[in-house]
Amino acid sequence: MWRNYLTIAWRNIIKNGVFSAINIFGLAVGLMSCILIMLFVREESGFDRWLKDSDRLVRMHTAYIKADGPSFLTVRSAGMMMPAVRDYAKNEIEDGVRLIPFGMTVRKGEDAFDETLTMADGSFFNIFDLPFVHGDANSSFTKPLDTIISEKMALKYFGRTDVIGETLTLCCLRDNTVPMTISGVIKDLPQATHLDLDILVYLQPEIFAENDSVLNTWTSVNVYTYFKMRPGVSVAQLQERLTYWVNNESQFRDSMSDFSSDGAEKKQASDFMQHKLMAVPDLHLQARKDAGNMGDLSPMGDQKMISTFVIVAVLILLIACINFMNLATARASQRAREVAMRKVLGASRGQVALQFLAEAVAIVMISLLFALVAVELVLPLYNQALGRELTFELFNDLPMLFSLLAVALLVGLGAGLYPALYLSRYLPGHILKSNKSGESGATAKLRTALVVIQFATSIGLVISTAVVFSQTNFVKSIDVGYVSDNKLILNVGVARNNLESLKQQLVNLPEISSVVYSSEAPTQDNENSTFFKLMENIDGQTANEGQIFNYHNVGYGFFEAYEVNPIAGRLFSQNHGADKLAAPQQANEQVNHASVVINQSALKKLGLNDPQQAIGLTLFSQNILQDYPFELKIVGVIPDIYFRSVKFDVRPSIYMLNPQRFRVASLSFKTDDIPKLLKDIEEVWKNNVPMQPINLSFLSGMMAAQYESEVTEAKLFSAFSVLAILVACLGLYGLAAFTAERRTKEIGIRKIMGARVQDIVTLLIWQFSKPVLIANLIAWPISIYAMTYWLQSFPYRIDLLWLLPICLVTGALTLLIAWLTVGGNAAKVARANPIKALRTE
Amino acid sequence: MLKLHNLSRTYQSDEVETMALNNVNIEIKQGEFVAIMGPSGCGKSTLLNIIGMLDSPTSGDYLFQEENIAGYNESKLAIIRKHNIGFIFQSFNLIDELTVAENIELALLYHKVPAAERKARVAKVMDKVGIAHRANHMPSQLSGGQQQRVAVARAVVGNQSMILADEPTGNLDSAHGQEVMEMLQALNEEGTTIVMVTHSPSHADYAKRTINLFDGQVITQNIKAA
Ligand SMILES: Nc1ncnc2c1ncn2[C@@H]1O[C@H](COP(=O)(O)OP(=O)(O)OP(=O)(O)O)[C@@H](O)[C@H]1O
Ligand SMILES: [Mg+2]
Repeated sequence: MWRNYLTIAWRNIIKNGVFSAINIFGLAVGLMSCILIMLFVREESGFDRWLKDSDRLVRMHTAYIKADGPSFLTVRSAGMMMPAVRDYAKNEIEDGVRLIPFGMTVRKGEDAFDETLTMADGSFFNIFDLPFVHGDANSSFTKPLDTIISEKMALKYFGRTDVIGETLTLCCLRDNTVPMTISGVIKDLPQATHLDLDILVYLQPEIFAENDSVLNTWTSVNVYTYFKMRPGVSVAQLQERLTYWVNNESQFRDSMSDFSSDGAEKKQASDFMQHKLMAVPDLHLQARKDAGNMGDLSPMGDQKMISTFVIVAVLILLIACINFMNLATARASQRAREVAMRKVLGASRGQVALQFLAEAVAIVMISLLFALVAVELVLPLYNQALGRELTFELFNDLPMLFSLLAVALLVGLGAGLYPALYLSRYLPGHILKSNKSGESGATAKLRTALVVIQFATSIGLVISTAVVFSQTNFVKSIDVGYVSDNKLILNVGVARNNLESLKQQLVNLPEISSVVYSSEAPTQDNENSTFFKLMENIDGQTANEGQIFNYHNVGYGFFEAYEVNPIAGRLFSQNHGADKLAAPQQANEQVNHASVVINQSALKKLGLNDPQQAIGLTLFSQNILQDYPFELKIVGVIPDIYFRSVKFDVRPSIYMLNPQRFRVASLSFKTDDIPKLLKDIEEVWKNNVPMQPINLSFLSGMMAAQYESEVTEAKLFSAFSVLAILVACLGLYGLAAFTAERRTKEIGIRKIMGARVQDIVTLLIWQFSKPVLIANLIAWPISIYAMTYWLQSFPYRIDLLWLLPICLVTGALTLLIAWLTVGGNAAKVARANPIKALRTE
Repeated sequence: MLKLHNLSRTYQSDEVETMALNNVNIEIKQGEFVAIMGPSGCGKSTLLNIIGMLDSPTSGDYLFQEENIAGYNESKLAIIRKHNIGFIFQSFNLIDELTVAENIELALLYHKVPAAERKARVAKVMDKVGIAHRANHMPSQLSGGQQQRVAVARAVVGNQSMILADEPTGNLDSAHGQEVMEMLQALNEEGTTIVMVTHSPSHADYAKRTINLFDGQVITQNIKAA
């Protein structure tokens, strides 16, 4: 029995070569997309789950709630929180650890590299039980400056991993070099973790004794705080305890009302400052919503992207399944006779249905084989696009193997069930006697409906892709307000004592036209904000409230170098000696003076409309240079420039001139000989800052990097959309071929009645255009709705009116594709000699 | 009306060459009713298809209304055909998905006749063949005789001057066959030229002339005494 089924199944696959090929190709493409997406999704959602006791690990995030603007969110927390919370919630918490990442220069002999060091409390390995290669958690991490490095680091600096006792030199902790003795080597972390640990240093709190803002603070958020909960404790339970403590017993709750400038109605500390716990395995995909603009230890994942890709995978598979259903029922008439004979010979309906189901599953399994081969071939490209190292080893990966088989079986049943029930329904007498196809109007209608679904899906995908692309391009093409061409950004954080000579020598290079310093380069995002208070009363307002503004420090010539022109007043100038912000010579001086330039948003925030009006006004602040009081005269107003990514709003910003805060130099160059340029700059660097690695980047590259993930996403999205369309068109092609075949008699009659070739082609093309048109009408409103929603999350977005031409073009395109798909077949059939069609009755 | 001169048609298939028509010379005048008879496989359908311009001769001349169309291409033939010739088949060849009225209208659809006039002409011809009460039925709901009447209606609705019928009664019982023959006769009396292939001598009797084919050649032509 089964052999007979298999034989028939196999012969049918061979006999209907084109149909089988379409089915197998479509399903293979669908399954391939599914597997690729599954691999990515599995990795993304499996982050940190491999950590020991990962279900008991949580991290504490902090949010400052502002009544008069967006809240300040971060995944970090204040330095004093960890020990206080750990000691308070002893019943819930086993232990806690703080991580403080630092960018530092590490030297070994002549080599010097910039590395990220992570300082951690001695409890680190109680929380993160990472496997050691050399040393162990009990002995290697016990005293200040004990240093644990990853295998990768060991190989980088020493060429071997057995390096306990070796020394690396750290530069510069409070302007001193510090030798670090390696006390242990851990295995490299897998890619799937939010942790970024190469060098782990035992935290010596005394190092930070002077610096209030790192460890000894309740409000400044500079550390990453993790807890390990006791077994059986839930995140919600601990969260409840934490919130209770913050509001009732914490040492800082009384100071909270001073912290915020607004309203008296708020009563609880947690109304100003929230501490949220998040399970460590959730961090990769969920931390984004708590992270504000500051980011995490490593690039965060995107739950939205994951969900989108899962939907896309399901849709492609759906389209492929519909192909299968359509072609199977369309061809049913050819198999009606076989079914009838089987029934005459005693087969039950169930047996016949089972046979067709088995055929469907067989086809899906063949497709799966092709899909597996395709995945192997495409994976390197896919990894490159995603920047991942996903692996696919089916036979070492039983869960994957079984879930794939399950998916294949499901798809086989899903695609095969309807055709099986449909085919097995035939009554033998009817078929054998009347020599009729048994095709009813209802199934033809169902097929059309399925084609509509297929095309609506594909059209939706294409529209979405087009919108994503337009938006990405739009964001890239926004006028940022400054000139970014021919700029190199040099990190001068480690050269603070040599800034003047460095600048002199760089400017002397023939290919460099200017060198300007600033605290941040464009695209670099630091959250520097503090209170400023306008001293003059405008329009009879009484005393002004202090307001929070973002601020940057820029050197003389900065705006000129970026070709930003003032809309009122002037830019910083050396001719006005009082522009610069400096600590007072004698400590007893009452108020200090300096100048500031503000942007248009800041102008508005101050309640001013006319930029001219702001010139000469004074801002007071006591937080910008230690706690010296400063009166800052507004000397100029500049347009809003997108100092950070255009993904975010322009902030009301105040630009000051405090050379102590300079960290980067912007070099404007005018040469095409880039290698020589870089060599010359490096030469100057080595002369001025020996033993420090140079950190030089093109501004254009830094700007492009901001959109990298969006561009990747857009590319992948479009790749999958093209696949979806391809599969849908193949289905349409098969259906057209079949229909043309089935309609040969009718077409013959029409020709004898006088229809010309083009009449017939028009007839067939119209038959297939109708569902595509209807699909467009269904897909447009849905995509417009979805895309409007999607665009909402961008502060700067394409005009919604763009959706209309995108829809129209997509509609025209799909129609064209459908015509090309159907046209060939139609023309062939239309040209055939009608007597042939009518002879074979 | 038409004249075939030394006309031959051969079929080339794999190895064998079949001479379906061999040096056929026939003349058919306007208003004639001609029956073509002969054993199975003698070339009757081939002859009818060539006369109907559905097929082209391998050699020889085909003069249709003084015009030698033997070498014309398909689209040229199609234009001459659709204005002059109607077809009736043994197996009716109605389109299953269209109603009776729509099937008949099909013949006008490709003639650029305005919709209103189409409706009128279809209604008239349905009356004439007596199937007006079935206008909105599907072909599968009709008896064979009724289906063939629809086919006749379709063949004449475009005012074709000649009807070619390939065994129009082949699938019908004798009563229905008779009915169709009478209808053809009536059409002939109104001036339509009719060329009909049949196996039935009694149906051939309706014709004024009978051409006997054998092995692709014309053997005899019997002209019925008036
Ligand atoms: N397309 C074709 N290819 C090859 N041979 C053909 C083709 N059409 C017809 N023939 C052959 O030409 C000859 C004449 O065929 P035709 O159909 O004209 O016969 P007929 O007289 O109509 O027969 P019947 O009475 O059975 O309908 C036959 O031998 C047939 O096999
Ligand atoms: Mg014949």
